[in-house]
Amino acid sequence: MEHLTDEQFEDIMQGEDIDLTHLKQCQDCQNRLAEKQAVAARLRLAFKSVKANADLVNQIRSQINQSCETAATIESIQHTWAARLHHKLWPALATAAAILVVLVPLSLYFGAPSAARAAQAELVNIHNHNLLPGHEFYSDAEPEKLAEYFKSELGFSPAFPCTGHGMAIRGCCVAHFRGQIVGSYVVDTPRGVISVIVVTDTPKSIGMTRMLKRIRGGQTCWKASFARCSMVTVRLGDYSYCAVGETSHKYLQELLGRLLPDMQQ
Amino acid sequence: MKDDTGTFENIALPYLNAVYRAAVAVCGQRQEADDLVQDTFLKAIERFESFQRGTNCKAWLLQILRNTWIDRLRRKKITGLALPLEEQIIAEKSHDNEIVWSNPEDLIENFSDEQVIKALSELPEDQRLTLFLIDVEQLSQKEVAQITGVAAGTVKSRTSRGRAVLKGKLASYAKEMGLLGE
Repeated sequence: MEHLTDEQFEDIMQGEDIDLTHLKQCQDCQNRLAEKQAVAARLRLAFKSVKANADLVNQIRSQINQSCETAATIESIQHTWAARLHHKLWPALATAAAILVVLVPLSLYFGAPSAARAAQAELVNIHNHNLLPGHEFYSDAEPEKLAEYFKSELGFSPAFPCTGHGMAIRGCCVAHFRGQIVGSYVVDTPRGVISVIVVTDTPKSIGMTRMLKRIRGGQTCWKASFARCSMVTVRLGDYSYCAVGETSHKYLQELLGRLLPDMQQ
Repeated sequence: MKDDTGTFENIALPYLNAVYRAAVAVCGQRQEADDLVQDTFLKAIERFESFQRGTNCKAWLLQILRNTWIDRLRRKKITGLALPLEEQIIAEKSHDNEIVWSNPEDLIENFSDEQVIKALSELPEDQRLTLFLIDVEQLSQKEVAQITGVAAGTVKSRTSRGRAVLKGKLASYAKEMGLLGE
């Protein structure tokens, strides 16, 4: 007589429609099922009284309110500019043109799709986590070991940064970005810690705008700002290398040029 | 009038307790669970525009929680409180031994809620969240597969193994408390 398998027990507990002939006749399987159900019931009961405390609820509500206020501010700025444009359009086309010159970059900034802004926020979050005291990195003096680490975690080895010029690799680590595992190098520079996060998303899909100046290798750079951080990205092959830090776009661009000088597109 | 029925507060906040329970299940400690829930909701607020209205918000939040938790584990380089393989095998075999808890009353009387939650938090990482989602949140195998990013068959085996290991843990607690003979 063949007893029920673990998978069959799980199907029964999920209420799936399976043949119960054996179960009805076998006391051993009935006992095993009862035991599994008893453990499940006890587990459920243990969590019945587990609830978020009032402090946590208030903190989450406060996060939501802050987010709403930020969104309202952006919306208000957009409306203000739209209203100004409307009033000045008829009296003087020249004035309107001037306003447009200001409005276009503003709308690019404020009107970036929210998903792109959320992606920028995620990149900044990854960088901020990298800065936390006590944050541990995978660290090794040998570039090959770091490459091996990324290969095992990500399935590929990103370009390894060239250091020197006062720059040193503090370590590397992995994090989630848009639901995918991504890797980041954390680099000590004369102007503080910079994270170089390697993602598959294109700079455009992260809501970044093209920079006029190219880096030394001739690659186009893209930039964005979020919170107090600047971001500059260069696309190499199938990956975007995004430098994030609390410094200027210009410095980040120079840094990427030095870190990734020999890469071929 | 502005329609606020589709706001984050209306759609996602009702699942705060479910997210918190999951955080307690995976962390085992309330303070760490608080931090994890805050991080999860912060990310959810940021990504809310990408949430498809009408789909399962609870599953969406739990998926963010799971990813955030995995990130934390990776960052801390914690390998989890996974049982060594030998101990796990012993625990898995425990369903063949003489201890049979077919009556939930026995389990209720023998252990406190905190002991049961502690035992769950000591399960291997992959089994911990899966067992919680199936047994406590009573999600379907398909939903859990979506949240944990594995096949439904893997969910089945993780649930089954997790429950066996949990039972083994409770049995060893029972022995420590002198409720069962050596």
